[in-house]
Amino acid sequence: MRLILATAALAALTACSGNSSGTKTNTTTTTSAVTAAPSPATAGTVVKIGIDLPLSGGDASVGISTEQGALLAIEQMQKSMPRGFTLQGVAVDDAVQGVHNPEQGAANVRSFISDNAVLAVVGPYNSNVARAQIPVTNAASMAQIGPSVVADNLTLGPEAKQLRRTNPNLITFFRVCTTDSRQGSALAQFAQSLGYKRAYIIDDNETYGLDLADRFEKDFTADGGTVLARDHLAKNTQDFKALLLKVAAAKPDVVFFGGVTSTGGGLLRKQMYGVGLGKVAYFGGDGIADLATVAGAQADGSYYTLAAPNAEKLPAAQAFVKAYRARYSSDIGPYSANAYAAAQVAANAVIRAIGKGGGVPSRADVVARVATTKIETPIGSISFDKNGDVTNPVLSLYGFKNGQSYFIRQIQLKL
Amino acid sequence: MHEFLAQLVNGISLGGIYALIALGYTMVYGIIGLINFAHGDVYTLGSFFALTILTALGVSGELHGVALVVDVAIALIGAALLCGIVGVLIERLAYRRLRNAPRLAPLITAIGVSFILENIMQVWKGPSPVSFPAVVPNPSIAVAGVAIGAQQILLVGLAVVMMVGLQLFIHNTRLGRAMRATAQDRDAAQLMGININKTIMLTFLIGSALAGVAGFVSGVYYQSTWFFNGFGAGLKAFTAAVLGGIGNIGGAMLGGFLIGIIESFATWKFGGQWSNVTVFAILILVLVFRPSGLLGEAVFERA
Repeated sequence: MRLILATAALAALTACSGNSSGTKTNTTTTTSAVTAAPSPATAGTVVKIGIDLPLSGGDASVGISTEQGALLAIEQMQKSMPRGFTLQGVAVDDAVQGVHNPEQGAANVRSFISDNAVLAVVGPYNSNVARAQIPVTNAASMAQIGPSVVADNLTLGPEAKQLRRTNPNLITFFRVCTTDSRQGSALAQFAQSLGYKRAYIIDDNETYGLDLADRFEKDFTADGGTVLARDHLAKNTQDFKALLLKVAAAKPDVVFFGGVTSTGGGLLRKQMYGVGLGKVAYFGGDGIADLATVAGAQADGSYYTLAAPNAEKLPAAQAFVKAYRARYSSDIGPYSANAYAAAQVAANAVIRAIGKGGGVPSRADVVARVATTKIETPIGSISFDKNGDVTNPVLSLYGFKNGQSYFIRQIQLKL
Repeated sequence: MHEFLAQLVNGISLGGIYALIALGYTMVYGIIGLINFAHGDVYTLGSFFALTILTALGVSGELHGVALVVDVAIALIGAALLCGIVGVLIERLAYRRLRNAPRLAPLITAIGVSFILENIMQVWKGPSPVSFPAVVPNPSIAVAGVAIGAQQILLVGLAVVMMVGLQLFIHNTRLGRAMRATAQDRDAAQLMGININKTIMLTFLIGSALAGVAGFVSGVYYQSTWFFNGFGAGLKAFTAAVLGGIGNIGGAMLGGFLIGIIESFATWKFGGQWSNVTVFAILILVLVFRPSGLLGEAVFERA
């Protein structure tokens, strides 16, 4: 009897942990179809741009401001649409149980593909979601433009080619931001410039975090710094004190975190105070831009880069910043301007693909137009190289003071 | 040595939270043979209730003196009570009708209740982790060079007091005897005039109240809470209950502390990403050699 009960319990445990991801997918996916334009009487043919972002859960604080940037672009591009065409943005959520989810992301783009009116996709926010989506969009020759996904291997190297396995020579994935390795390099140089020599590196074991941490590790060491150790976080954990005790024993000048606030970046910083690491600098990439939402004033002493220029400071972006405030009565988020630019690229390609002929273009037509993009956006002029990366990457560096992030400086990377 | 002790202290504190949650799992399992997967979410709910109460009291930082004792007591008891009520409601609405259904039905229902609670909490306090005021000051004493914080002592102390209190209640009161009788043989207990529904409600009330206590304590200890915390913590606490012998009060306690300590040491020695692997590997090993857990199941039976 005892044996039976215990095995039943164990079976239930495994059944539950296996089940949970599957069942939860269905319960929490909030698919919000947003009509970006109050469609005029002469609606005519509707063409759509799909938007896939994490709109609930831990990433929602940045996901929603990103979504709004994209929707604003679609609204504004409406008046440039050829006669008889209406442009719509369709936004869907790729977060499941509060965390961005690759399977959900792939399911979302599949539903875009099954809708013939969707001609291009903007998104996702997270690199691991992009890894699941690119093979799908590539197979359908659907143009996909990432506002914020920064993992190198999405566009570069043999891994990127593997993602494009159906049409290896057709670039369907583009991004308006720069890459992880550039963020990692910039952060390593900044750490050195502050005189930090001993770094402890922690990552969240996800595509984005691993990449960023790898690059930081490489550059920090190459510049003469010492990497004391490298560690990874476990998923679904709220206690990082055991790990941090280990970090404290190593006495680092700086703790580098490769990952995002929602996968532990926020709690990690907060709990650093509990083990006497509160005064130690905390570095991360754009994934911890919303660190203060979790850590509050304990975010002070942290630094991060954004793979985007500071739109608030850019002269070219002022009109966008104003329009965004007027439309949503809130300040722009870290990737709002990028999402605006990404949606602008998509809409622009659709408009050019419709051309004078006036018929609904094929998805392949749109991809070809995206590749030859040359437009002015709030984040500068955008064109893509042969891998789908932007030709003029800009990074900006931020820090935290009194629980608020402040802009330090802009870094224009030379290629 | 210093690091060993520091990790041990950390593991015991973490284990205290697991133990408090595990008590609820084990009680419910002991009495109706149901693995109440919504229990972890009741724990998160406890931290949300405590946070709401503290906000209503106007508490935003450290408290001292009388205010400390009064406000902490109000938040702690309030969170426990509200969680207890939620537990009773869950039993009444979701599980009672399925009491005689095949075992899988209430199990699946429990998973459903878990999702419902998580989503309600996500709507309530938002999708991001929320800050919890550092109500309890945390002066630390050094034992062999390792700082032990007041919060850690409070946490472990509460867990032990709760467990001892629960043991005394189950073994020395009429209601406790009714619970033991119901656990042993529901039909026979009913024939002897025990009100089964009331007894099971009481079990849910106490188990969920303990989760509420755990929720409050974790809020104070981590100064943050998140609607999704209960998923991970609940799974670990359930593991703790199984490791100690599900249905066994002392076993839940032992299992909780063991899991906390194992997790800490695994993180220290093998790295953070291996902590869960180690915990569950040890669970499997224990179950292979001692299928009923370390202390055996159903202490209810062994009065």
